[in-house]
Amino acid sequence: MDFFLHIIVLIGTFLPTILGYNLVFGKGKILHFGPMGVSVITGYCFIVTLKSTGSFSLAILSGLIAVTLISLLFAWLSLRLNQDAFGVMSIAVHLSALAVVLNWNSLTRGALGIPQIPRPEFLSSVADFAIAAIILSIVTVYIVRKIDKSSFGRQLQALAEHEWHAKSLGIDRNRVHVLAFIICGIGIFLSNLIYLPYLTLLHPNDYQFAGMVFYVMIVVAGMPGSVWGATLSTVLLLALREAVRFAPLSASVLGPVRLMLFGFILFVAVYYRRDTLFPKQRSI
Amino acid sequence: MPLLSLKDLSLTIDEHQILQGISFDVEEGQIIGLIGPNGSGKTTLFNVISGFLKSSGGSITLGGEEISNLSPSQRAKRGIGRVFQNFGIFRDMTLEENILVALEALPRQQRKDLGDLKEVVAGTLDMVGLSDAGKKKAGSLSGGQMRLLEIARTLKAGKDLFLLDEPTAGVSPKMTGQVADIIKELKSNGKTVLIIEHDLPFIASICDEVVVLDVGKVVLQGTPAEVKESKELKEIYFGADPTT
Repeated sequence: MDFFLHIIVLIGTFLPTILGYNLVFGKGKILHFGPMGVSVITGYCFIVTLKSTGSFSLAILSGLIAVTLISLLFAWLSLRLNQDAFGVMSIAVHLSALAVVLNWNSLTRGALGIPQIPRPEFLSSVADFAIAAIILSIVTVYIVRKIDKSSFGRQLQALAEHEWHAKSLGIDRNRVHVLAFIICGIGIFLSNLIYLPYLTLLHPNDYQFAGMVFYVMIVVAGMPGSVWGATLSTVLLLALREAVRFAPLSASVLGPVRLMLFGFILFVAVYYRRDTLFPKQRSI
Repeated sequence: MPLLSLKDLSLTIDEHQILQGISFDVEEGQIIGLIGPNGSGKTTLFNVISGFLKSSGGSITLGGEEISNLSPSQRAKRGIGRVFQNFGIFRDMTLEENILVALEALPRQQRKDLGDLKEVVAGTLDMVGLSDAGKKKAGSLSGGQMRLLEIARTLKAGKDLFLLDEPTAGVSPKMTGQVADIIKELKSNGKTVLIIEHDLPFIASICDEVVVLDVGKVVLQGTPAEVKESKELKEIYFGADPTT
């Protein structure tokens, strides 16, 4: 039973990140490979503040400030660099953030991570976390659907399809990009808010680039830009990832098999979705 | 005061002078044709007027306001509407969304003045005879239908100055007449139009004045009849007349 509850918690905590990321990468067709960078910075700000003050309110405030600043940095970079350069730069920002976390031992404990993260009083068991995750999922899907169908969603789609045509209508690219990155960042922060107290451990290994590839795979497999598609592929691929653990293989074989399986899924997804990945002017 | 005034406009890219000393005025309610051979700088001039390229020198004023340093979206908000040669329609959006996205980009007060946006959308679709296709993807339209929708959308979005880049390109001969009708309707609504076209009879039939560009310079300006009869135009298009 606990395993199914664990899967529910995982799905519920992944969804805000994936749906936010789907808005930027899927609908906005912005080559953003930095959500893990946003996650590592907000995660550490949230947990370091929580551990040092013991106050969830202050920790949430600190996380929100961090997510706003890092989202603004990514938005600023996306407005000043071309698509490809931004893609590379977003990876660089992520890896730089990870390097800081790994080397600032006095604050982050480096490669050891931060253990014994306290949980809020109302989230003491796995079942509590599962209920919170379900509520978070429903609220997130509802809000992101609203955003997707709003004038902002249409403006983001128009910019993705043809930037010049969109600008000639009066669409403000700066405003749309800033909003998109902030919404994506808030989704990532919400995920951290539940997931880290659930694990009670913040470990830098959870923020490696391989995790970013998993995000990309979920969005691409679910049809870039589709809220329901991203939701469904989050459920299916996370369930698959966890189910593979039970395959009758030794640990040394299981790891590479899992990597190959997801590599194959990503290949198939990109092959079939290749027309939906990039703006119309430069589809592959 | 002219609605649009270009003064000594120039553009240099990588030491190549693309536009040189372009100066002309466009009065409110006029339809001005912009013609010239390929590579003469017509579309580049549109890109400079609409803000996608920054001029190297000179000034652009719209309704008396200097707009040379404004972004494309700021210029659009001040009333410049652009119709692109390669169709400025978002093909993955429905027809309704295509119109809605233009209306929603208007300044707040202008959007309020329009009233119920759904009604404006319905009216725009009705105007181009596509009332039943509102939920269809715009990519399913023919070239002519896309062109009509694009112009009607720009009209409903309350733009004052229309930059039409080859509006009959990719349009069937039958629909060219409809495009001409909708451009005349713009004029009857008091709108100002700058139009790039290669179809000289089409230009002659709808324009008040024609400006001829060659190698980035204005070489001729006058009524369609004057321009049509001029020796310079023949030289530009067919080379120097050996009999003269």
